[in-house]
Amino acid sequence: MDGRAALAGSGRLGAELEAVAERLRRITVRLRSGRLGEGAGVIWSHDGLVLSNAHVVHAEPLVIELWDGRRFDAQLRWRDPRHDLAVIAIRCTGLPAAVPGDATALRSGQLVLALGHPFGLGNALSLGVVHQPPADLGRNRWIRADISLAPGNSGGPLANAAGEVIGLNTLVAGGLGHAIPISVVQRLLQQRGERAA
Amino acid sequence: MNAPAPAAGTLAELSNDLADAVARVGRSVVAIQARRRIPSSGVVWGAGIVVAANHTITRDEDISVTLPDGDTTAATLSGRDPSTDLAVLRIESTAPPVERSDDTHLQAGRLVLAVGRPGPQVTASLGIVSAVGGEWRTWHGGRIDRFVRLDLSVYDGFSGGPLVEVGGRVLGINTSGLSRALALALPGTTVDRVVGELVKKGRVTRGYLGLAVQPVRLPEEMRRKLGLSGTIGLVIVNLETGGPADRAGLLLGDIITGLDGREVGDPSDILALLGSEGVGKQVSLRILRAGEARSLAVTVGERPPSRGR
Repeated sequence: MDGRAALAGSGRLGAELEAVAERLRRITVRLRSGRLGEGAGVIWSHDGLVLSNAHVVHAEPLVIELWDGRRFDAQLRWRDPRHDLAVIAIRCTGLPAAVPGDATALRSGQLVLALGHPFGLGNALSLGVVHQPPADLGRNRWIRADISLAPGNSGGPLANAAGEVIGLNTLVAGGLGHAIPISVVQRLLQQRGERAA
Repeated sequence: MNAPAPAAGTLAELSNDLADAVARVGRSVVAIQARRRIPSSGVVWGAGIVVAANHTITRDEDISVTLPDGDTTAATLSGRDPSTDLAVLRIESTAPPVERSDDTHLQAGRLVLAVGRPGPQVTASLGIVSAVGGEWRTWHGGRIDRFVRLDLSVYDGFSGGPLVEVGGRVLGINTSGLSRALALALPGTTVDRVVGELVKKGRVTRGYLGLAVQPVRLPEEMRRKLGLSGTIGLVIVNLETGGPADRAGLLLGDIITGLDGREVGDPSDILALLGSEGVGKQVSLRILRAGEARSLAVTVGERPPSRGR
């Protein structure tokens, strides 16, 4: 292979990664619940609907901090502990919102990115691959990912190489990240009468 | 007002290539039920031949294999080599053998995937080859042609699965059985050699002398008097009764200083000189006994098979 072409290629790869990271940074919030709870969330609509995990949102008050440092008191709309999903609202418009990807056509080995606040470290990006796609989307099965996650990633986005959100990072088991497929989230939102993103 | 979407480009292409590699090699990766825990992985290496990690095959019979198409078939154990942690199973299947990549020029930095099938579905992890070194020996004396250390997660059930490069070609077999701390892979070259022997003989023969040694420092005066250049000798601390060394007349307390004209200063030097080719050959041992140097001829025996797991 021509060495220079390879270098140019890897430069493009780096630039694209940075673009995806920036895109994820803008749709990811930091969420404080009560005195101790801290996790991440995904901006779902331009007018302030935010998704997170039910286990992150367990006490009042709820405070959401955006990528640009703005802080908002947030209202919990509803929690679904069985699916570990929480829907929160802030009073704000003109927000950048997540673009949902297709979580029903994932392939083992495809690249995924996660953004969150592992151990309180703000906006940390991690890169990995789909370990195992969900087996049966009807039954709230996980996206298992070979990616480094930690407490503080909960509720944050798992995205594909295009920066589209394919899941919400929820837990780590057996060394693997587990994310709720975004298709499951969309179904639950629809059942509750929330607008589509 | 979404943040601008990056155009599908190199990153998306790489992502597709990785998923393609997993899908491609996945046609030759099977799940093996030969232990109580979750299944382990195996690779179709040749027609009807499945390579597995020996430590995951905890029984000799009642082994079944789940094929990429979801069918389960019975497998027979053709042989195992605990020293390299490899085992060979035979199945009746038309699953295609993996495509191989030459591992002789493998370098650190190669983007790789570890692929496994610890259940019905194929699973993957991504990383890089973090170090490549020369030939080394495992705890059990097995010769591995290249040291291949990985920076990736080898998940439960991944042992016996392939190490794959982008494009889907296989560089080696992953196993957690050779090191507790490191993620290591057995290079394809080694797998070829061991599988060849296992298919032919059902086992890997290894030269054997029937003795245990310990390094000792040779006194300066003795070295001068006998004209020895090495500073370390190997004192015999155990002899297998009736073993090759015993039959050749070696005694406890003899100090080995050379083997076939080569100096030995470490027990691994003896192991290294007793390859699988050495069985039945006569070697000359240079020893010190009661302050005198002498030579003894020993016929290398074959290491008795161990049921090592």
